[in-house]
Amino acid sequence: MRIVSILLACGFAFGLDTVVSQQFQSLYRLVVLAGLYITLAVSLNLINGITGQFSIGHAAFYMVGAYSAGFISKTFYAGQVSPQVWMVGMAILGALFAAIAGFIVGLPSLRLRGDYLAIVTLGFGEILRIVTQNIEPIGGAYGMNVKPFGSPPQTLWLAWILAVLCIAVCRNLLKTAHGLPFLAVREDEVASSAMGVNTSSTKVTAFIVGSAFAGGAGAILAHAESFISPDMFKMDVSFIILTMVVLGGTGSITGSVLAAVALFAIPEWLRNLQDPVTKVPIQIPGPALVASILAVVMTVALLKLAQDRYHGERVKKIGLLLGAIFAGSVAQMVLNLALSQIPSLAAKSFEAAALRMVIFAATLIILMLLRPQGMMAQHEFSWAWVARVFGKKEKVAA
Amino acid sequence: MGRQGLWQEGEGGSMSQPTERPVVLSLNKATIQFGGLIAVNEVTFDLYKGDLFGLIGPNGAGKTTCFNLITGVYKPTSGSIKFNGKEVSGLSPAKIATLGICRTFQNIRLFPALSVLENVVVGSYLRHKVPLAFAFAYLPPAIKETKALRDEAMHLLEVMELADMADARSADLPYGKQRRLEIARAIATQPDLLLLDEPAAGMNPQEKEDLLTTVRRIRNEFGKTVLLIEHDMRFVMGLCERIVVLDHGEEIANGPPEAIRNNPKVIEAYLGEAV
Repeated sequence: MRIVSILLACGFAFGLDTVVSQQFQSLYRLVVLAGLYITLAVSLNLINGITGQFSIGHAAFYMVGAYSAGFISKTFYAGQVSPQVWMVGMAILGALFAAIAGFIVGLPSLRLRGDYLAIVTLGFGEILRIVTQNIEPIGGAYGMNVKPFGSPPQTLWLAWILAVLCIAVCRNLLKTAHGLPFLAVREDEVASSAMGVNTSSTKVTAFIVGSAFAGGAGAILAHAESFISPDMFKMDVSFIILTMVVLGGTGSITGSVLAAVALFAIPEWLRNLQDPVTKVPIQIPGPALVASILAVVMTVALLKLAQDRYHGERVKKIGLLLGAIFAGSVAQMVLNLALSQIPSLAAKSFEAAALRMVIFAATLIILMLLRPQGMMAQHEFSWAWVARVFGKKEKVAA
Repeated sequence: MGRQGLWQEGEGGSMSQPTERPVVLSLNKATIQFGGLIAVNEVTFDLYKGDLFGLIGPNGAGKTTCFNLITGVYKPTSGSIKFNGKEVSGLSPAKIATLGICRTFQNIRLFPALSVLENVVVGSYLRHKVPLAFAFAYLPPAIKETKALRDEAMHLLEVMELADMADARSADLPYGKQRRLEIARAIATQPDLLLLDEPAAGMNPQEKEDLLTTVRRIRNEFGKTVLLIEHDMRFVMGLCERIVVLDHGEEIANGPPEAIRNNPKVIEAYLGEAV
């Protein structure tokens, strides 16, 4: 059973690689990056969500992996083995270096909690980035070219195998009794040490394993992009990864995966918003934009109200929520008509792509308002869970 | 590890004279000072194997601090604490738990998001034999061990009459059951010495009665030594065979319940009218 699933995962990764590289060449890079972000989010979830150590320096481990693998690849690769095998080796190496970094950052976590640990990890990430910026042999602030193979390598399969591996490792941990001490440390450190749990080794293990996966992802990134610079590992990357974990539901692996894909895809999708036929970037007329903003605010307020005040039947609640959305849409249309009467506003229009970060941020705020526990809360995807959810719905319908 | 492994065989039945049994825990002039406050001052007592030992006194007398000294949360300023003949003062809480002391907390400290069963399985941490790497790879030994520990925890929940709620979130349990669960979790570590910090606090009379039976059972059937802090005098007097009374960090009395009940110093400091 296990061997079958391993083979299936590998087959899936190679299949995806082939299909994407042949059919959707423009998407290839994005699919690789999506895989890497899944790895990053799930590995940070191990540290943040499962073990409860608030780390916001995950980009640093990503960078350690990228730079160590990139540098070694650039310097030492001379066709000893096939590029694919070499890359696997580099991913392992990147993971190793990042694991060492993770161990070093994990040490303060033995003494620090909550906000203080967050500050230390943040500082560590920034220090590492600035130091890298000032080391000339690895390109300094300009960055470093990593082109050991001549032609760009196929990296998609590796990125996705790493993602699957990362998910599998976290899931395995949670499925065995060994995972419980990690959760226990998150829940109550004093009580877990009273049970004899070695909280130090538990926390450091989480850091080591989590950062190793981030390092592996970094190594793949270095080869996929053929170019790395300190700018690619700024604080905002750490924050995006953290946002993925929180948005997905702290502690839920499924949530991290979903949020990673969503948060990565939304800005990328908005970037290319254009008319499918004429290929002209979509323009949003001024009145429509203002009306939409007002309508969204109204809808969210209504949804929140319905969510907080109404604790009755599920069907009625869903009806109320749908009603709120409907009311919002109507409001948008009415407002749109009304605002179109203002000539100065009607004359203006905005490019949709330029608004992408605004839309992205608004999506985050709305999700956090309406579902503060994250998309999946603490649940995991399983067939039993699917059956339960659908079972409930059937009961309500009947 | 099978079900038999869960409990070490105790002597069972009625206990012999304390002095004939080996000393489990021995405090010798244990003292801790926080700045100018001497929270526990030269407290000295011995616990013999199989004792049901009470630690009582008014609020702020230093009872919980005493527990914190024994379990390594604080390091004594002076004096010694020996467990099974080994000096434990200054060791970390986790290390002391490894040696075989486990405690419950005055303000219940369960792992709220974990299920009742999972809480107990955490208690069996010290009996993990399979390395962590096996768990990451989900290898058969790790799966087998998980199953064994879960079965064992389930058995323990049956003994503690919590089995029907095994899958509930521990935070959702009613108060009395949370206390029982905390005791179950402590027993899951298979300690030689069990420290209970106000186990009956907030319980109704029926729950207290059940708890009394349970604690007796822990001692009689499983040969554990129990040291407990409690304010409910009926509970303490009915359960404990020996009692130490603390007041302002000082030990003011040490003896069997009848002697404590009639001790003028204890009556003045704590009991007020005779119970």
